[in-house]
Amino acid sequence: MTSEATTKLIRTVCPAHCGIDACGILAHVKDGRVVKVEPAEFPDPKYRRICLRGLSSLDITYHKDRLRYPMKRTGKRGEGKFERIAWDEALDTIAEKFKAIAAEHGWPSIGWVLGGPGAGTTKFGAYLRLASLTQSTRVSAWGYGDAGLPCGSRVIFGTQFPYALLFGGLLAGKAKPDMVVVWGANPGESQPLNLMRPIMDAKANGARLAVIDPRFTVTASKADAYLGVRPGTDSALALGLMHVIFQREMHDAPFIIRHSTGPYLVRSDTGKYLRGKDLGLDEEQAYVVWDTVGDRPAQCRAEGVAPAIGGTYTVNGIACKTAFELLKELCDTYTPQKTSEITGVAPDLIVNLAARIGSSRETTFVTHMGFTRTYHGDVSLRALGTVATVTGNVMARFKGGYLPAVLNWKPFLKAVPDKPSYSRMGILQLYDAIISGNPYPVKAVWFSFINFLNQCAHSNKIEKEVFANLDFIVDTELFMTPTARYADILLPVCSYLEFSDLVPHPYPYVQYQQKAMEPLYESRSDVNIAAGLAERLGFAEYFSGGEDGFVDLLLDSKDPSVEGITREQLMQGAMPVTAIPEMDQAFDIPFSTPSGKIEIYSEGLVEDGQALPFQLDPLESPVPGKKTRYPLAFIQGHSRFRTHSMFANVDALLELNPEPIVEINPRDAKERGICDGDQVVVYNDRARTKLKAAVSEGVSPGVVNIMQGWWIDQFAEGSVNHLTHDVINPVQEKVYEPNMHMNDVAVEIEKAE
Amino acid sequence: MVETQLGLVIDQERCIGCEACTVACKNENLGSIGFIRVQTQDAAQKDIPAGKFPDLRMTFMPLVCNHCDRPPCEDACPVDAIEKRQDGVVILDREACDGCRACVDECPYAAISFDEEAEHAEKCNLCAHRIDEGLEPFCVVCCEAQAIHFGDLNDPATTAGRLKRAETVFQLMPEQGTGPSVYYCPQMAPRGV
Repeated sequence: MTSEATTKLIRTVCPAHCGIDACGILAHVKDGRVVKVEPAEFPDPKYRRICLRGLSSLDITYHKDRLRYPMKRTGKRGEGKFERIAWDEALDTIAEKFKAIAAEHGWPSIGWVLGGPGAGTTKFGAYLRLASLTQSTRVSAWGYGDAGLPCGSRVIFGTQFPYALLFGGLLAGKAKPDMVVVWGANPGESQPLNLMRPIMDAKANGARLAVIDPRFTVTASKADAYLGVRPGTDSALALGLMHVIFQREMHDAPFIIRHSTGPYLVRSDTGKYLRGKDLGLDEEQAYVVWDTVGDRPAQCRAEGVAPAIGGTYTVNGIACKTAFELLKELCDTYTPQKTSEITGVAPDLIVNLAARIGSSRETTFVTHMGFTRTYHGDVSLRALGTVATVTGNVMARFKGGYLPAVLNWKPFLKAVPDKPSYSRMGILQLYDAIISGNPYPVKAVWFSFINFLNQCAHSNKIEKEVFANLDFIVDTELFMTPTARYADILLPVCSYLEFSDLVPHPYPYVQYQQKAMEPLYESRSDVNIAAGLAERLGFAEYFSGGEDGFVDLLLDSKDPSVEGITREQLMQGAMPVTAIPEMDQAFDIPFSTPSGKIEIYSEGLVEDGQALPFQLDPLESPVPGKKTRYPLAFIQGHSRFRTHSMFANVDALLELNPEPIVEINPRDAKERGICDGDQVVVYNDRARTKLKAAVSEGVSPGVVNIMQGWWIDQFAEGSVNHLTHDVINPVQEKVYEPNMHMNDVAVEIEKAE
Repeated sequence: MVETQLGLVIDQERCIGCEACTVACKNENLGSIGFIRVQTQDAAQKDIPAGKFPDLRMTFMPLVCNHCDRPPCEDACPVDAIEKRQDGVVILDREACDGCRACVDECPYAAISFDEEAEHAEKCNLCAHRIDEGLEPFCVVCCEAQAIHFGDLNDPATTAGRLKRAETVFQLMPEQGTGPSVYYCPQMAPRGV
């Protein structure tokens, strides 16, 4: 057919912020216009996938509301009044403004607020390079709800993500679990999306599936057992599971002894690990165990020593217990009945799940960030990790994140070796830096890949205090988002079909996001924009190769995972990474914790009262026995119709999911005289958010849910994040970076007038 | 030789109700709606489970033209705009349709929609244009859960043909006597832990 003859097929990638998913896309291009997208082939057909968001790619690229040219603000911030300017004027203005602010306050007062770059690398890397060269401030967006998990993971496993350790085997097709526990994640709709197929495959092969979530999600609908845990009580649930596991002696003692700090002796007086120096050993810092062979203390890992897993001992007059003993004592009090009272999960369900995990050959724990978006979510992650550890369900050698190493920003940062790089600040710490100059003032911000006002905690505060104290705001965007309205200079960026990038997903593949069409209007790629600014700041030489130059920078970085892979190969299709770490518990674990082992007991957190994964009260979420100002726990599910706030303006998806709704249990609705479909106001001290109610058994009594990602202008009043708070957890700040606690918020609801 | 009957086997156990099929259909067939629509079973609204917390169930039911053996829509159409092909696919030719809506009324599955603007009936043609090029229907290719299987239902060598023969598989409203060519594998009942 003649029409077919003129259609070019370009293999690219949808890098929407699904992170590890990054579907391969085959773009059909006709006369320079992408007319169709479809899921691209993979060597393994299990990876050929697309979702309703990816299928909306053209709705984004050709959206009538796309920003078309650079603009400068003419009205008040937030008013949305702008005037068209040329790219040169825009970039000149930014460069001059940055230089002037830096002259007065120093370069660290310029903050690069880079959100989720999706699966892309070079667009993020370009700004990191610029931040590094100017020695300004890189504002990390992990604290946007995503820092709780790494905080906990760093403490127990010494790694940013526990994913590979817990479910890397399933992701890599190597695990054959007979039990799958999905905890605080909803892969049927949200990250880790590409786990849903292997989970259902495992289930088809006989594995049982348990899902732990305050909402009865799509994933929960597939479960053999659903545990509707009360928000903020996941640690208690974990302790309750271990109570049963220990009582029935179903724990994996050899694994605990070999791979965790379980057998290490802990001093009862200080709570610190007993060390060689306490015994007068040469190796002063060595950890100490109780040797069951010689019935005496011994240096850990010494030849011929058979460490006791539990017990109380006196060493040199110092009373000690093993770390495992301390964990066991903590779990002793979490009987099924008590655990049930705290978590809301029926006692027999707790017992049965524990027994199933304890008796299974291989349990895969699938988790994500749902429950870590609570004030003590980091501790909850440790609690989950502890359950996996004591049952021997941690994949040992598979270190790091999802993927070997391509998400490695070093090549971007080493533009000028030996020169200091940027300062790093967490996004939740940014509020105070702007408002009070603490720890140092930030006066200008550059937003990319982020809808800050919409998606970050406490929108009222952002609007009235954060934005109000900024001298200068730049935003690169596709649309006039709620955040974009506050920009002083607003720059139009390309959609993913209009530029190239390297995408190190889905594991174990690398893909090339290949430009399929010329940028529409005057839009530019982020790499191109960064290069334009770099030129004006005197760093042109570090941006000379454009997008493909940066792709090659990564491919040629000598990283073992991409060694030998070329851009030409990637143009044809996904390439498997060249080095895949082994997964084998027979090897010792190179964890980067202080002890080099899984730390089921963290001596660094003794003073914080968090050495063990205790159940600690949530900040706001109501739990039994705690008085709260507002009675309902407010959580934010992640919807299949959006990726954060992306796709919220796509008509095809709005047809299927037209407006924000708050889900409320019939019991709570009845008490408040609320009927399905009523307009209601969800409120607390911070805000009033008006929207439609859906009366649903899908949320527990006492819990209400609004799917996140709706734009502020899509609410009759307020929004999701007008209700959230920006309270910093100091332990998280100490361990890594403070998180926003989106799922630890209390509200009340009433029928709207 | 057994004659060919192309059709779908939809696995409710795998279906996650994501509606990628609906969006894919609309993109591919440029209908006024996506012709495959996902309902939540036993629920007043989409995505709302049945039962009482926490004893809940939620089962997704993608509904689409059944490409019946004896399509009542074909009989009802006064202008022969609907035709059952040799391979079993029931085609509605939008161009030939005169907009009388007889087929819409006659279909027991409410699988035929009406484009009010263009004033013609429309429905799933099982992506006949793709089938004729040796491709699968677009909803099958785009199914996130890999829950929709396409093939010759009369050929047990195909996945669809094999799945169709499973004991638990069912058709919708078999009592209507239309002989639907869309089969469903039911969602597995929770086994507990």
